[in-house]
Amino acid sequence: MTENPFPLSKDDLLRAYRTMRTIREFEERLHVDFAKGDIPGFVHLYAGEEACATGIMMHLNDNDRIASTHRGHGHCIAKGVDVHAMMAEIYGRSTGACRGKGGSMHIADLSKGMMGANGILGAGAPLICGAALAAKVRGDRGVGITFVGDGASNQGTFLESLNLAAVWNLPVVFVVENNGYAESTAMEWAVSCDSYVDRATGFGMPGVTVDGTDFFAVHEAAGEIIRRAREGGGPALLECNMVRFYGHFEGDAQTYRAKGEVEALRASRDCLVMLGERVIEAGVIARAELQAIDGEVAALIEDAVRAAKAAPLPAAGDLLTDVYVAY
Amino acid sequence: MTPVVGIVANPVSARDIRRVVANAANLQVTDRANILLRVLAALRACGVAEVLMMPEKGGIRGHVERGVARARAHGEDPYPAIHPVAMPVTGTVEDTHRATRAMRQAGVSAIVVLGGDGTHRAVAAQCGAVPIAGISTGTNNAFPDHREPTITGLATGLAVTGRVPPHIAFAGNKRIDVAINGETPSEIALVDVALVAERYIGARALWRTENFRELYVTFADPEVIGMSAIAGLLEPVTRGESGGLMVRLSPAGQTSPPSGPRPGGTILRAPIAPGMMAAVGVTDWRRMPAGVPFVPEVEAGTIALDGERELSFTARDRLSLTLRDDAFRTVNVSGCMRHAAENRLLTGTPVPVSADL
Ligand SMILES: Cc1ncc(C[n+]2csc(CCOP(=O)(O)OP(=O)(O)O)c2C)c(N)n1
Ligand SMILES: [Mg+2]
Repeated sequence: MTENPFPLSKDDLLRAYRTMRTIREFEERLHVDFAKGDIPGFVHLYAGEEACATGIMMHLNDNDRIASTHRGHGHCIAKGVDVHAMMAEIYGRSTGACRGKGGSMHIADLSKGMMGANGILGAGAPLICGAALAAKVRGDRGVGITFVGDGASNQGTFLESLNLAAVWNLPVVFVVENNGYAESTAMEWAVSCDSYVDRATGFGMPGVTVDGTDFFAVHEAAGEIIRRAREGGGPALLECNMVRFYGHFEGDAQTYRAKGEVEALRASRDCLVMLGERVIEAGVIARAELQAIDGEVAALIEDAVRAAKAAPLPAAGDLLTDVYVAY
Repeated sequence: MTPVVGIVANPVSARDIRRVVANAANLQVTDRANILLRVLAALRACGVAEVLMMPEKGGIRGHVERGVARARAHGEDPYPAIHPVAMPVTGTVEDTHRATRAMRQAGVSAIVVLGGDGTHRAVAAQCGAVPIAGISTGTNNAFPDHREPTITGLATGLAVTGRVPPHIAFAGNKRIDVAINGETPSEIALVDVALVAERYIGARALWRTENFRELYVTFADPEVIGMSAIAGLLEPVTRGESGGLMVRLSPAGQTSPPSGPRPGGTILRAPIAPGMMAAVGVTDWRRMPAGVPFVPEVEAGTIALDGERELSFTARDRLSLTLRDDAFRTVNVSGCMRHAAENRLLTGTPVPVSADL
């Protein structure tokens, strides 16, 4: 094998690939199982967007907090949440991350710094300001990352949080996951001032746009932005332009998308394929090594589904446990 | 036939990581639209009645249309008619290429460009003999002049309406052609080609000086920032003269101060990005005559064109770089405005004589 020309070690490249492959496999399995009617509730799939969560989360540790969205499986997996607990949660089983009562849009694991997926658009941003304020007061160099969609970025909560984070100089990174659509509404119909970077500028923080399907672009830009926040440099916004391979939610007929759009995106902008091809072409990782990971991940997801299906539903008597927290 | 002017305004230049690793500016979309309205008003004042504009979805067009409608509501009509090029919008550099080709085929007399060095490069790659009038809305911007866009619009208007003679109105520009594996040219650069050790494109911008290896510039200006500044602070080469400069760089700049630069070399402190003074290890430099192919010593790495990492290459790839004089044309804004003043092109008739005190 030749000298490694990438800014990550071979182990880290393998880890990145494994994370992205795990997210992809997880989502594709849900796509199939949801269609069979096996899964209660709503699921929003992150397939196509894996490079964003992975490129960012590689710079974080368990002390760093993230606040996610309704499309949160990728964030959870990249932040290290257990895949078995996630699958069981989505299947509504008592072995799930929230004992089966939350489902897809509430998966959380505070031990991993994952503060939760969130069914309320724009709700993650104020939460992460709180977490970042705590990190700042403690002085533990922790950072907070919140994800928001192109559509949800219009929520007042998000815009207020930009202001709050700037005023308090919080270690927060606002990641706008711009996949071009909010449900069926294309971005250019709904976002004033047209540029998220302009919005950041308006609140006195830097904003950067990257190709969110390019793992190396996300990883490099996120690394600089997160380091800046960690060192007390204050908040910043990172816009990742990315592509959504499935519908808004499972069951969406996608009549608002041009014919062939998804096929074209899958052929030209598949972040997982692009990462794999680049590391193979550079001679750093052999195709067989990636295929071995593919096999391990497939077995992991298969086992997670098997275990979830075998696990019991929450007992009726547990209806009110873990629902409210007494202070 | 009245002249038509093309407009390429890039809505997404100046959005990269240099806003974080350096204190680079962000020019808001509304400001880009304001710049365009200033240019349009100046063109119209010179008699340009129609422009052909690249469509985009970044928001510029919407703001421009609002500005035009606002003026009409006041009973004014200070702008040329704006026709969008009929083409799909992809949001990539391909839009600039396609729009420029369409403008050239439509016979525009000049193309006004709003963007950074990268946008200008994309236009220059396709514009053929059509002159470019560049306006800087990007980050490092060694290529377009920094001046008030109203003046660029005026100069362009005077040039395309024939009120300034072509030999004054337009100037030739140099370019570096990069051939990869014999394809000629695979890529072009208007200002600089840098070969860096990193073998990934990543966030594109150049700021890790320890990875800089070789630099080729069409002009070396000590008054700009970016890669051209490195050459400019060693041996200035103007835009007007033939040939450029080639500089060999070493990682001595930041990473290993004890070992220092190679014998005969030096360490240069240069502004490689806005507000970013960096130590760069310089091995040596030499003139790069026009028309002579240069084969780089670096075996593998990434080619950065006008300050942005664009493509990586390996030991298997054969690279060659050739500087061309007079490769494309720009509007000579200073020349046009001086000519306009000396010939009182903007005064009414009869021309008043200056008072002889
Ligand atoms: C406060 C609120 N309003 C509306 C909704 C309904 N809703 C769920 S997802 C969605 C669109 C979100 O689009 P975007 O933010 O771009 O994220 P994406 O789904 O593209 O990842 C809407 C309107 C909601 N969940 N919360
Ligand atoms: Mg969206």
